[in-house]
Amino acid sequence: MKILVCIKQVPDMESRFRPNGEKTWYDESDLAFRMNEYDEYAVEQAVQLKEQLGGEPEITVLSIGPERTVEAIKKALAMGGDRAVHIRDDRYYQKDPWQIASMIASYAKGEGFDLIFTGMQSQDRGSAQVGVIVAELLGVSCATTLVGFSYDGGTITVKRELEGGIKGVAKLKLPALVTCQLGLNTPRYPTLPNIMKAKKKEIASLTAAELTGEAELTATAAIYPPAKKGGGLVLEGEIGAQVDRLMGILKEKTAVLR
Amino acid sequence: MDFELSQDHKVLRDSVREFVEKEIKPIAMQIDEEHMIPDSLVNKMAEMGFLGSYLPEEYDGAGLDMLSYAIVVEEVSKACGSSGVLISAHTSLACGPIYTFGTEAQKKKWLPALNTGKVIGCFLLTEPDAGSDAGAISTTYRREGDEFVINGSKIFITNGGYRGTGVLFATSDKSLKHRGVSAFIIDLNSPGVEILKNEKKLGIRGSYTTAFALDSVRIPAENLLGQEGQGFKIAMDTLNGGRIGIASQALGIAEGAFERALAYSKERKQFDHPICELQAVQFKLADMYTRIETSKLMTYKAACLKDAKKNYTAESAMCKMLASEAATYVTKEAIQIHGGYGFICDYEVERMFRDAKITEIYEGTNEVQRVVISKILLS
Repeated sequence: MKILVCIKQVPDMESRFRPNGEKTWYDESDLAFRMNEYDEYAVEQAVQLKEQLGGEPEITVLSIGPERTVEAIKKALAMGGDRAVHIRDDRYYQKDPWQIASMIASYAKGEGFDLIFTGMQSQDRGSAQVGVIVAELLGVSCATTLVGFSYDGGTITVKRELEGGIKGVAKLKLPALVTCQLGLNTPRYPTLPNIMKAKKKEIASLTAAELTGEAELTATAAIYPPAKKGGGLVLEGEIGAQVDRLMGILKEKTAVLR
Repeated sequence: MDFELSQDHKVLRDSVREFVEKEIKPIAMQIDEEHMIPDSLVNKMAEMGFLGSYLPEEYDGAGLDMLSYAIVVEEVSKACGSSGVLISAHTSLACGPIYTFGTEAQKKKWLPALNTGKVIGCFLLTEPDAGSDAGAISTTYRREGDEFVINGSKIFITNGGYRGTGVLFATSDKSLKHRGVSAFIIDLNSPGVEILKNEKKLGIRGSYTTAFALDSVRIPAENLLGQEGQGFKIAMDTLNGGRIGIASQALGIAEGAFERALAYSKERKQFDHPICELQAVQFKLADMYTRIETSKLMTYKAACLKDAKKNYTAESAMCKMLASEAATYVTKEAIQIHGGYGFICDYEVERMFRDAKITEIYEGTNEVQRVVISKILLS
């Protein structure tokens, strides 16, 4: 079995975000980076499947981004990936989900992956489109927002998180692509011996130019922080009157008292 | 010159940090209160490879380098100084000398269990009357057939309470002073090894500090480490490397306290403003951070020199001295920034203040470090 895991390196959400000079992305000089959280669930699930199948599947990790992206790739390899492909692209942030997915699909097309794992969305851009577009371009079945996964004899059974707290169960035949959601598993820590072993694993390097001729379908016009909100509404006066006003606001503007 | 960590070291740092945040930070206060690191945490740290970080893979170590080891001890100590010194004493003072001075047979026999944390290592040098004057030890050994017979006592043995594997120093003749000292590998479950007590302490309370009586303990002759009479050299060389571990521990303690002080100074309001807007607090933060960064540079430099197999004696003494003094200074100021709250256990900086002090004392007092540095300057 050949497994592909698509990961992204994203800014740590505790970083300080400021628009860059072009006002189309963040100023990266202030940012710390880490593997996209949802992609960690994807890596973990792939490694668990490999373990379930006695180590037979080969796990390839793929990521698109600048030189620093290798840090996220190395983490995925230390978690249990076997080899990696780094698609070097310093202008990755200018590419829309269509272009990113086209690059991944054009790499994956000839490789014959049986199963592709990825996060359900990235924590920075959050479009949740790349996974499903890749599935469409490759013509494989697809299930999104996984909170449960099992594999048995060429079929995967997945539990999906739907809106309003409802879960759905789906069965898919391979080849397939799945996107992973919080709650699917607990990603393992890379251990020191595995970090050492990861150093010896192959990281193939491709350039974005080798993989995409697609033009963008959406372009980022501007990125800016939300306007500062006012300081909220402070109720004053006699306590009974305050309660009445609060009740009125809650009835009028929210669903909590209906 | 490049002061950036390599990608591999960043991956390592982030992985260790994640582990520490989830597995150690939440129980650091409990470790201090109960005077004990839970076995479950020791096992988890062992599984992570923290107990054999820079030892080669052929002896079941992780095969990483000294800088990786320094980063591990630093990150762990940010949350818990007790856990930091467990790793440091185990790796630098037990795995280290067995790897450096052991025969191939000794390495194969003792290192895999140590490197994977199945047994915890310790270093038995200090005695009631031999601290900084390590050549003055009076624990004796004598040869009897295929064995050495050891008699004497050892105190202040970090990790001693685990009764694992020790590197023990004893003399054939006290009048020979340091020339009479030899080193041995000892299984602390051997008959005649008695734990007198585990000390109660100001800080690093989760770490065992053990006093041993050694009453006619028989050690197989094959457990002699290095040559007879080479013990003092082995001890000094080992402590030389160990100082990088203690510097990393001190650095971590300082960073842990600084993170809390910085965060608190932004939250705490007095006179209608966060106290970080007061220059009195700002200057403290600047001084604290400067000392931390200076210590970090020297600690990493010492580790890199050791990795490059260059002489690092002065740097290891300087980093130990700088980082331990940064730790006592930064933790003290962290309490001051917290005001009365800093004096209360819940805010954790008081624990860090208590944990910091020992780093100025053990693995060579800072006075001894100054002797080491000035000797090099004047030699």
